[in-house]
Amino acid sequence: MGIQDRLIEDVGLRRGVSRLTPEKIETVVRSVMASEAGARLKAYSETCMRCGMCAKGCHFALSHPDDPSYTPAAKVAQTMGVLLKTGGRVDPGTFYGIAQLAYTECNLCKRCVHYCPIGIDTGFIMSMVRRICHKLGVTPQYIQDTAHSHSTTFNQMWVKDDEWIDTLQWQEDEARDEFPGLRIPLDKEGAEIYYSVIAPEPKFRTQLIYQAAAIFNAAGVDWTMPSQPGWDNSDMCMFTGDFEMMGRLKRRHFESA
Amino acid sequence: MNAAYQFVTGPLAWAAWGIFLLGSAWRLVAMYRLARKKDASAIAYMSWGYSLRSIVNWLIPFNALGWRKNPAMTIATFAFHVCLIATPVFLVAHVMLWDQAFGVRYATIPDAAADGMTMLVIAACLFFAGRRLAMPDVRAITTPKDWFALAIVLAPFLTGFLAYHQAIDYDTMIVLHVVTGEIMLAAIPFTRLSHMVFAVFTRAYMGSEFGGVRHARDW
Repeated sequence: MGIQDRLIEDVGLRRGVSRLTPEKIETVVRSVMASEAGARLKAYSETCMRCGMCAKGCHFALSHPDDPSYTPAAKVAQTMGVLLKTGGRVDPGTFYGIAQLAYTECNLCKRCVHYCPIGIDTGFIMSMVRRICHKLGVTPQYIQDTAHSHSTTFNQMWVKDDEWIDTLQWQEDEARDEFPGLRIPLDKEGAEIYYSVIAPEPKFRTQLIYQAAAIFNAAGVDWTMPSQPGWDNSDMCMFTGDFEMMGRLKRRHFESA
Repeated sequence: MNAAYQFVTGPLAWAAWGIFLLGSAWRLVAMYRLARKKDASAIAYMSWGYSLRSIVNWLIPFNALGWRKNPAMTIATFAFHVCLIATPVFLVAHVMLWDQAFGVRYATIPDAAADGMTMLVIAACLFFAGRRLAMPDVRAITTPKDWFALAIVLAPFLTGFLAYHQAIDYDTMIVLHVVTGEIMLAAIPFTRLSHMVFAVFTRAYMGSEFGGVRHARDW
């Protein structure tokens, strides 16, 4: 039992891996180890006593009670453990499994931290694995699409700049039928509350913005929403391992606020 | 045999304590330097309050989620760690050695109690070994390093127990006991046992991150 026994086809992972060689993987692993990996990774990898207590904290492990390869410690062993042990010199087929595990079998929820006596942060280790995957161009297709959307539009759902404002005004219009005095104030300087959403709201669940406006209206608070890119508070780049773009998103969002 | 005893309790003891103390200090300094260089974002969140809050809550049996969900492990690991440290430190025979060598005296525990505590340590080691063999999720992640660490810790207690009861040739057993104890000390900075040095800091960091960033508990 292990990740190699449950590989799934993903066009993003497959294409990314097709461009790899053991040398390329080794170069990137070594560069990440030399530049970004620090004391936390070193301490975690050295002091994990393999007690297995984390198994009870992980929903992936709990939902696969007969397969011990889903426990947090086992997932670290199959990904970062392999990269550390080999110095990154692994064949592309192995790396496919490492990437699939890091992206699809750990949510980075850090619940296992509540179960580990010495506080080993599996989520952090997995995000380091994802960082290596991103640098090697091996990311699942769907999440990479949302990351591309972030890079292009600063929101994860390819919502265009004018569509965003249009959507807000549309919801304000609709809501005014029910609450005549309701407004969705845009870019109001000095407002008490800055309200931001994630892009799936304007894209798929627009009524959520209506409902939030109704609540703000009933509460009578001084609030505002941003009209410019930076309005999306989500960050898929953090999840793909694209830390450069993650930094740009965070900066834009804070500047917007 | 007397010469062997003199050697293991003399030069070898100095070497073992030296490796343990200087090695641990060096590892801590090197790790701190690495953290300063590479983990600045983590150091920025380190907080005394949140660190101590997390450590204290994890030191209470059955308090943290991990303890509550693993009750047998909780009993075994608390008994193991308390006896592992208290027995050798407060054993009458050990305190006498400190007294002979440096004129240092302090409180001791009765031999009968120490005997029981030693058996607890051995029993806990057997429990840990049993888990590694019998529980599929523990067996799957067990490596030779984990068996090595367990053996290093078990050896001085087993030999100490046998020497105290004079079960097998005492002279050999006591030398073995001293040597295995010294191996354990010297291994602390460089094996899995280094969690003795680092665990308080990894826990402190998680306490700080959960307290300062997520405004949540980590136990």
